[in-house]
Amino acid sequence: MIAPAVDARGLVKVFERGRRTVWQRLRGEPDRRERFHAVDGIDLTVERGEIFGLLGPNGAGKTTTMKMLATLLIPTDGTIDVLGIDVLARPREVRARLGAMLSGERSLYWKLTGRENLEYFAALYHVPARETRARIDAALGSVKLLDRADDYVERYSTGMRQRLALARALLPDPPLIILDEPTVGLDPQAARDLRDRVRELRSQGRTVLLTTHYMDEADQLCDRVAIIDHGRIVALDTPAALKRTIRAEEVVHLEIGLVDGSAAPADEGAVLERLGRAATVARSERHNGTLAVTAHCSSARDFVPAAFDAARSAGATIRHVEVVPVTLEDVFISLTGRALRE
Amino acid sequence: MTLLAADARAFVAAARKELRIWRRYPLFILSLLFWPIVLPATWVLMGQAYSGGGNSRALAAFAERAGTTEVAGFVFVGYAMYMWLSNLLWGPGTALRTEQIRGSLEAVFLTPTSRLVALFAPPVSHLPFSIANFVVMGAVLWLAFGVVLPLGAILEAIVVIAVGIPSMYAIGSLFAASVLRFGEVGPIVQLVRGMFVLACGITFPIAMLPGWAQVGAALLPPTYIVDDIRSVLFRGAGLGGVAIDLALLVAFAALIAVVAVWVFRVLERSARRRGTLGSY
Repeated sequence: MIAPAVDARGLVKVFERGRRTVWQRLRGEPDRRERFHAVDGIDLTVERGEIFGLLGPNGAGKTTTMKMLATLLIPTDGTIDVLGIDVLARPREVRARLGAMLSGERSLYWKLTGRENLEYFAALYHVPARETRARIDAALGSVKLLDRADDYVERYSTGMRQRLALARALLPDPPLIILDEPTVGLDPQAARDLRDRVRELRSQGRTVLLTTHYMDEADQLCDRVAIIDHGRIVALDTPAALKRTIRAEEVVHLEIGLVDGSAAPADEGAVLERLGRAATVARSERHNGTLAVTAHCSSARDFVPAAFDAARSAGATIRHVEVVPVTLEDVFISLTGRALRE
Repeated sequence: MTLLAADARAFVAAARKELRIWRRYPLFILSLLFWPIVLPATWVLMGQAYSGGGNSRALAAFAERAGTTEVAGFVFVGYAMYMWLSNLLWGPGTALRTEQIRGSLEAVFLTPTSRLVALFAPPVSHLPFSIANFVVMGAVLWLAFGVVLPLGAILEAIVVIAVGIPSMYAIGSLFAASVLRFGEVGPIVQLVRGMFVLACGITFPIAMLPGWAQVGAALLPPTYIVDDIRSVLFRGAGLGGVAIDLALLVAFAALIAVVAVWVFRVLERSARRRGTLGSY
């Protein structure tokens, strides 16, 4: 039986917040630093040949998880097998089989050319000398950078640097590639281009594990998605199955004015209670005199008139209506009560 | 390809990468010409002024303590050692720190290459600059101060330097290792460099130090290297006369390298536990 690409059990990573000075240590004062669970008991299995996404807001524990898989961090607790190899016991063997892009464009040498960067990393990845040139050309070709290979990296655009970082991850010809926020900071065209490259990796039979806080990216790219929040996986399935958990066909975003001229402000609770009779209020947020509401419903055609009636009867005014299909963001909101951006 | 051979290739690639990056800053070459001339020349001129411009009694007093009347040669050899030491104390640590700040250290540590490559390869890339310093200083000594060094003595000095290289690089690597845990180690390097300058007889004979400080100096490899180079260049000691010192240097190198590797492993593990590998 072939081992999964990644198998993590009970993964925990605790960091300490705050400082303990040398003086405090010398005086033997108790350690009062706060213990913070960046990853809090994650179980994760990534099958071979799939694109698996870790979706969550900043600080959810995605990068910490990736770094533990990539041997850069030692877990506080739990076990990780990558391609059937114990990460803690045999980290060097794991690194030999793993392509990773964790810190993107910053991890390159800008005063070297793209090819010189890859020559250096090919040696670090123990690529045999006689294969190096062909391997570099193949990696550069797969990210469409062959024609700019001999330019200094400082002259590349951000998207090109990200692609070069991806080419570097391909140098060891790895069966598993991990990508941490691969499209962050890219313009839409460059992001689309990089996603195409990631799909090609899957078509070559490789496994891709990526993190993202872009719901569209996870939806379009991933075969399966784990939604992660506060260091825990709160849902894990295919994007379609996750969206079905919402039990709604459409999502309606409403902007409701609670204050209207000289009249007394409308009661926020009453507005939400009346809206709740016609749909599921997934999230509401008040900002000054405006209430932003996200509602899940089976039919926007039926819900929107009812929402106008509900607002009017509570003394409020609907100022803006937007009807959108269900996204993974809605799944995240329904699970955590917060938006991914918060 | 065996693992050792693959790591050796990675080692060469890492040193080559450093040199390539240096090459992209051509004005750096000026510093190779400027400082090796200005710094020691200042001290030589000061020494000549204090000794009454070559007064025979003053020179005899100097020779009694330094073992030679060759003031310019004495100072230039001391400064060659100082610049080498500075390169080694700053160089490897700075290289690792730069990788850390740039964000490339994690990318290096994601590869299967031994972590020791990142520790020991950058110092090797500094070797050509140290050799360039030595050559420039030798030329200035000859052209500006009329000191002609015999070829045989120069070759013996090269042997002393070659034997001293491992211990010097082990010292540099020891400092580089601490970058992983503490990040910025500049102030400690400044302190240690100052101690070396004081204790190792860079600009004055060790005999000028108090007895207890001379004992401390005897525990530092640069003391032996600088004194042995002076011995073969100016005192006619020959390699036989410094053989015991050379053996001591080899022992120092082994000891410090073992300590550096151990410290590196401990601090690297600590950094992986605390998540400070990629910290600014």
